[in-house]
Amino acid sequence: MKDSCSSVSRLLEKYFDQEATSKERALVEAHLAGCPACQDALKWMGHCRDSLKVPIETALQKEDFERSWQNIRREIQIREKSSWRESIQSWLELSGLFRKKVWVPAVAVAAILVLLTTQVFFEEASFVALPDVEYVDSSYNVMVYPIERGKITVIWLFEGQEMEAPPS
Amino acid sequence: MNQDENELIFRCQKGDQDALKEIYDRYHDKVYRIAYGVVRHREESLDIVQEVFIKLFRSIGNFKGKSKFYTYLYRMAMNTAIDHSRKMYRVFSSSLDEEGAPQPSEMAEKGPDRILLHKELEEKVKAALDELPPDQKMAILFREVEGLSYREMAESMGCSIGTVMSRLHYGRKKIQELLRKYVKEEGRE
Repeated sequence: MKDSCSSVSRLLEKYFDQEATSKERALVEAHLAGCPACQDALKWMGHCRDSLKVPIETALQKEDFERSWQNIRREIQIREKSSWRESIQSWLELSGLFRKKVWVPAVAVAAILVLLTTQVFFEEASFVALPDVEYVDSSYNVMVYPIERGKITVIWLFEGQEMEAPPS
Repeated sequence: MNQDENELIFRCQKGDQDALKEIYDRYHDKVYRIAYGVVRHREESLDIVQEVFIKLFRSIGNFKGKSKFYTYLYRMAMNTAIDHSRKMYRVFSSSLDEEGAPQPSEMAEKGPDRILLHKELEEKVKAALDELPPDQKMAILFREVEGLSYREMAESMGCSIGTVMSRLHYGRKKIQELLRKYVKEEGRE
C-alpha cells in the first residue's frame, strides 16, 4: 500500500458508497489506476457487501409475508380483547397509592367492619325470623302442657305489682 | 414523508388495521432485511417482523412526525432485532445449510472449492458481525443491506454524518481484520 493510500482510504469508502463528490471521485479513480492494493480493498468491500446482502435477498423471496400478516392481525385482535384487563392492570400499576400499598390496612379494617356488620345483621334477622316465639297477652293464666315443658321457655312479663302471679 | 403516508399513519394512529396493512405492505421487506441482517435466520427474522409491526401498531401514537417515518420504523426494527438476538440461545452456525439456504447467484457458476470459500466467507462475515458493537453493526447493516445514504443513516441512528462514516469505517475495518485470511485467499485467485 502506498503512502497516499491512507489519505485516500476514507474517500475510497465514500467512493464505494457512492457518496463522493465528483472531485473526490476523480481523485480516487486516479489513485486506483495505479494502486492494486486499493483496487483489492475496493473489491473486498464488494465481496463483503455481497456476502451480507445476497443471502438476505434470497431468503426474502422465499418468505410468505401474507401468512405473517395474518399472524400480526390475529395477535392484534387477541390483544385488543384483553385490553380492558390490561388497562385496569396498568391503572393499578401506575397509581402511586396502590404501588405503595398504604391501602392494605384500610382495606383490612373495612373488611373486618363488613364482617362484623354482616354478623350482627344476620343475628338480628335470625332472632326476628324465629318461628317459635309467641307473645300471649293474658290477664289470667297461661297453660303450658307437660309434654311441651322440655321444649318451651316461658318468660313472664308483668306490667304491675298486683298482677304478679302467685307463687305456685 | 408524503401526504399519502401521513394519511396512513394518521389512520393507523386511530386504530385502523387496514392502514397498518398498507404500511406493512410497503415496509415488511425492509424490516425483514434488517432482522435477517442481525439474526441471520429465516424464522427468527419473520418473528421479528411480526413483533415490529405489532409494536408499531401499539406505539404509533407516540410518532409525532418530527422525524421521517422510515427512520422511526428502522430504528424500531433494529432495536427489536438486536434485543431478539440477545435473547436467542441457539447458535445458528448451520443457517447456511437450512432450508432456504442462501445461495448467492454468482456462486452457481463457480466450482465447489469456490462455493465452499464463499460459504466460509459468509459464515465468517456473520461471526464478524456478531463481534461488532451494536452501533457499528447497525451502520454496516443500514448501509450494506438497506442501502441507506449517509444522511438517512444519520437520521435513523440519531447521530451526525461524520459519526456514521466513522462507525462504518471502524466496522468495516474490524470485519476486514477478522476476514483477512479469506480476503487473501480471494486475492490469490
